[in-house]
Amino acid sequence: MAKHATPLLDQLESGPWPSFVTDIKRQAETKPECWDILGILELSYKDRITHWKHGGIVGVFGYGGGIVGRYADVPEKFPGVEHFHTIRVAQPSSKYYTTKNLRQLMDLWEKHGSGMTNFHGSTGDIILLGTRTENLEPFFWDLTHDMSQDLGGSGSNLRTPANCIGQSRCEWACYDTEEVCYQLTQKYQDEIHRPAFPYKFKFKFSGCPNDCVAAIARSDISVIGTWRDDIRIDQAAVKGYIDGKFPSNGGAHAGRDWGKFDIEKEVIALCPTKCMKMEGGELKINNAECTRCMHCINVMPRALRPGKDTGASILVGAKAPILDGAQFSTLIVPFMKIEKENEFEELTEFIEKVWDWWMEVGKNRERVGETMQRIGLPTFIKVMGIDAIPQMVIEPRSNPYVFWSDEEVPGGFQRDVQEFRRRHAA
Amino acid sequence: MALSKDELKAKILEKAAKSPKPQLYIKDFYECDPDAKPRDIKNIANELVKESKLMFWSSGSTTMYAVPSRIKNEETAGGI
Ligand code: HEM
Ligand code: HEM
Ligand code: SF4
Ligand code: SF4
Repeated sequence: MAKHATPLLDQLESGPWPSFVTDIKRQAETKPECWDILGILELSYKDRITHWKHGGIVGVFGYGGGIVGRYADVPEKFPGVEHFHTIRVAQPSSKYYTTKNLRQLMDLWEKHGSGMTNFHGSTGDIILLGTRTENLEPFFWDLTHDMSQDLGGSGSNLRTPANCIGQSRCEWACYDTEEVCYQLTQKYQDEIHRPAFPYKFKFKFSGCPNDCVAAIARSDISVIGTWRDDIRIDQAAVKGYIDGKFPSNGGAHAGRDWGKFDIEKEVIALCPTKCMKMEGGELKINNAECTRCMHCINVMPRALRPGKDTGASILVGAKAPILDGAQFSTLIVPFMKIEKENEFEELTEFIEKVWDWWMEVGKNRERVGETMQRIGLPTFIKVMGIDAIPQMVIEPRSNPYVFWSDEEVPGGFQRDVQEFRRRHAA
Repeated sequence: MALSKDELKAKILEKAAKSPKPQLYIKDFYECDPDAKPRDIKNIANELVKESKLMFWSSGSTTMYAVPSRIKNEETAGGI
């Protein structure tokens, strides 16, 4: 039986879509504290203000992250949610689970918490919603000892790294995303579990420019697979698509009759750099102009494949709109080999260089992308020891002032001002 | 010339004890030794937490440092 009257929330159950209110009510049948979640939310709707206090001091011994403290500001009314902390559990690479593991985790959460979950949070972690401070250590003990699983990152830590399924299932993966994600998670354990930075820091790994983990939108360092040789073309299969032997996009648009496949309209005209054409019944690609957008490959996967000289592009500085607007990360290194043999040394050197600079010059609660924006890309790439490339320029120059630094001008600026003024009075 | 580890620890603790607000950002400690690398200061601050001389205070998205005795109880969640 409902413990509180919740007319405003009940209304949310009346739509045609599944409702979280219904879910929480069902959970409350076995976990009475969930009635108080509904109660406090109803009160917030009525008062038009949150009744959660953000932040506090909760954690497990030795860790400075993975637990997000939440306290109700009306505990006398809703004792069940006086404490309602969130636990972040690190997800496995590619989020592959055994059902046994999931059942174990749910049993553990029924035992120590509210049973409410969020699969997955935007960082990728398994989010377990709602427990009391005194349950944290017992939960953590069972998680680490019985299940060999670990907490994820929160606060000013390196957040749990995430990757696309990569070579485990996808033919387009240009490097082993799972391996990099796993190895870097191990290498940076200290940064994940204890605060290391002025603010949060994320890296994410996508195997190709389709970017299935949305690294370009969500991570401070986005590692996105690419290739530097030519797209592999099977001309017979191209002809097969034209003749309607194979469904375009792997049949993904088969739900409706879109008419006959038209390679000119659906592939060539949509190439963003206009670098494709049909010539003598063959598809030609000017690979020097191709931006590796994946469009043609997505449409005709049987005919086109990424090249064989593969690696990744490294982009820096994506973030969500917390202080400023949202922004994508910016291309910094167009191509880097991603190799296990040298323990991804080139990548980790790059990452640590970014950290050193950002920790030094970044302001409190400023993401590295904001620091780059504030200080300017020219300075950032100079610090990183990287040459500017045309792709870093958004638009032709609109500012008539060009400032050259001393070392950029042959011979420098050494001149005698007195001597100059003798000829040109100020 | 960078300070020794113990000198730096003492300076960090002094700063954390005297700051107007009990919670400090990691960057607030950089000035304790301008010659030290930020990552070294971070490591030493985290070591002080391990020794229970400092504690973490987290807003969920940012983690700050505080002297435990200056935080009254767990629910000193002013909100940041
Ligand atoms: C008005 C109230 C709230 C506001 C303004 C708010 C705001 C936010 C913001 C800005 C973030 C992103 C933090 C970051 O990672 O940078 C966040 C994350 C989160 N909040 Fe809240 N929050 C509120 C209430 C709550 C409540 C009541 C809960 C739980 C009962 C909650 C649970 C979480 C969780 C689990 C995350 C992390 C999600 C993830 O990792 O993807 N929040 N919140
Ligand atoms: C390298 C050469 C020059 C530079 C860097 C320069 C720079 C400037 C700047 C910064 C302003 C202020 C613009 C503003 O307030 O929006 C300005 C205004 C002006 N300049 Fe120049 N200037 C140059 C050459 C000249 C020359 C050769 C003339 C005339 C023959 C000239 C005539 C003016 C006038 C009349 C204004 C005022 C415009 C107004 O108030 O709307 N400038 N200039
Ligand atoms: S990002 Fe590319 S490689 Fe990774 S799963 Fe998606 S399509 Fe496959
Ligand atoms: S990958 Fe994109 S840019 Fe390259 S040829 Fe195909 S459609 Fe054009």
